[in-house]
Amino acid sequence: MNTFAEIVQSNQAWLCLDCGKCSSVCPITLHLVDGYTSPRLLVEGAVNSGEDRVLEDPLLWSCLTCQRCSEICPSGVQFSEFIQDARQLAQEGGQRGECTHGGVIQSWMKSMTDPALEQNRLDWIDDELRIASESDVIYFPGCLPYYDTVFGKIDVEGTGIAKAAVKILNHLGIEPMVLKNERCCGHDPYWQGDMDTFRKLAEMNLETLSQTGAKRLITTCPECAFTLKSTYPEQVGDLGLEVLHITELLAEDENFHNIFPNNDSESLSVTYHDPCRLGRFMGIYQQPRDMIDNLGCELIEMGHHAQTSICCGTSCWTNCGQLNKKVQTDRLKEARSTGAEKLITSCVKCQIHYRCAQEDPVSGNEIQIDIQDLTTLIAERI
Amino acid sequence: MNKTTAKEKIILFTCNWHAFSSLEAAGIKNLVYSPALVPIRISCLGRITPGIILKAFEGGAAGVCLVGCPEGECHYQNGNREAHEVFEESRNLLRLLGYNENLLQYHLNSAGDGESFQVNIDNLVKNIQENRKIR
Repeated sequence: MNTFAEIVQSNQAWLCLDCGKCSSVCPITLHLVDGYTSPRLLVEGAVNSGEDRVLEDPLLWSCLTCQRCSEICPSGVQFSEFIQDARQLAQEGGQRGECTHGGVIQSWMKSMTDPALEQNRLDWIDDELRIASESDVIYFPGCLPYYDTVFGKIDVEGTGIAKAAVKILNHLGIEPMVLKNERCCGHDPYWQGDMDTFRKLAEMNLETLSQTGAKRLITTCPECAFTLKSTYPEQVGDLGLEVLHITELLAEDENFHNIFPNNDSESLSVTYHDPCRLGRFMGIYQQPRDMIDNLGCELIEMGHHAQTSICCGTSCWTNCGQLNKKVQTDRLKEARSTGAEKLITSCVKCQIHYRCAQEDPVSGNEIQIDIQDLTTLIAERI
Repeated sequence: MNKTTAKEKIILFTCNWHAFSSLEAAGIKNLVYSPALVPIRISCLGRITPGIILKAFEGGAAGVCLVGCPEGECHYQNGNREAHEVFEESRNLLRLLGYNENLLQYHLNSAGDGESFQVNIDNLVKNIQENRKIR
């Protein structure tokens, strides 16, 4: 187990003591109501006052791990990694963040660590979708079927995205495998610092996925993509598969225009929200924009876009409150101010968080904008 | 009587009003019900969430029973209706996770009616015990 001093050392977070540039961009620092904290103050606390100061800091659990700070950091400090390490330490000491949605999401993730579990997660596959029992390509829907159950009431697309993805793959001549017994990728337990659950899930996925003999794995969730591609090799082992977010797969194809001819979309104006994991973590900014362009939609950028994009306000189903709502409503207002008809994103969680924020009756029309996933937007054009 | 092991426990959530009163009435009248039941009293069944229900299964419970006030008689007006929505949502989640959805049961019972509580709760317990597949 690392101590706080070691965590500061290994992440080079001591460089923060002389700087504090990120305080101006941290979405949490901006909206703090009770007291004031910032990434620099958290590190300063860790260095000067040790563990207790860090464990009490509101930023420990409210940090969105959105990497906005690292984006402008002149010293290359990975503050999100520092937070992840610190949360691990806090969890080992019995502390944890506040679970959102009554802990139901954490519970289903933990339930999935049971090897005897035989899930019924493929009910969304209808006769129109072509699925193979053996294929070079796996489609990994992640928790989409579960989100349907919990967030269906706020019209989250959920398995609509999964259907759209398979429809797109079929259109490209690919019949993917969809596995009955995949588990949650473990992204959220990992970023909550719950390494025990993460490792169990990851090891099960590693075994299931590497036995399939497939060469590529496609996801529609940037968090699954990042976790399977980067976190697994660091923490549990390499899948031996090429992991791609669906926008990466589509961007490979130079004939996108011919494959997905744009029909009635000429008049549709959209704005695009970059999910943190897809953008700042994986560097995929241009591909989704090319896609939108190819579909014939007019893209109107928000002030904060690409590297400077703002997180959707909640991360790893932990600590959602007044602060997070502020981040979300501000972002929705920004999207609305572009005058675009639709807010397009490529992460189901961004959609969940924004739709949830839109339920707020007080903000009313100010934050109402139609939200859609890029995958379903493309599938509509087929 | 044999001690009930964790894996045989059935968590019984009752509201503070009709449901708990009927459980007490059963006790006062010495009406026997399954020792597997672990009653947990909450202020209103409407306070239950899918998170609490899944947590019970995650912790190894054999089943979960929700018992509340009869239709139209909720102490807080619509708690039992809300609980029914949660019940449906939780059953869907259980089905996705591969549990038998009948491991979660729902029943509304009138205050003071110990006999009805005994008969109905026995049926729910039987239903759960017959439908146990994984745990």
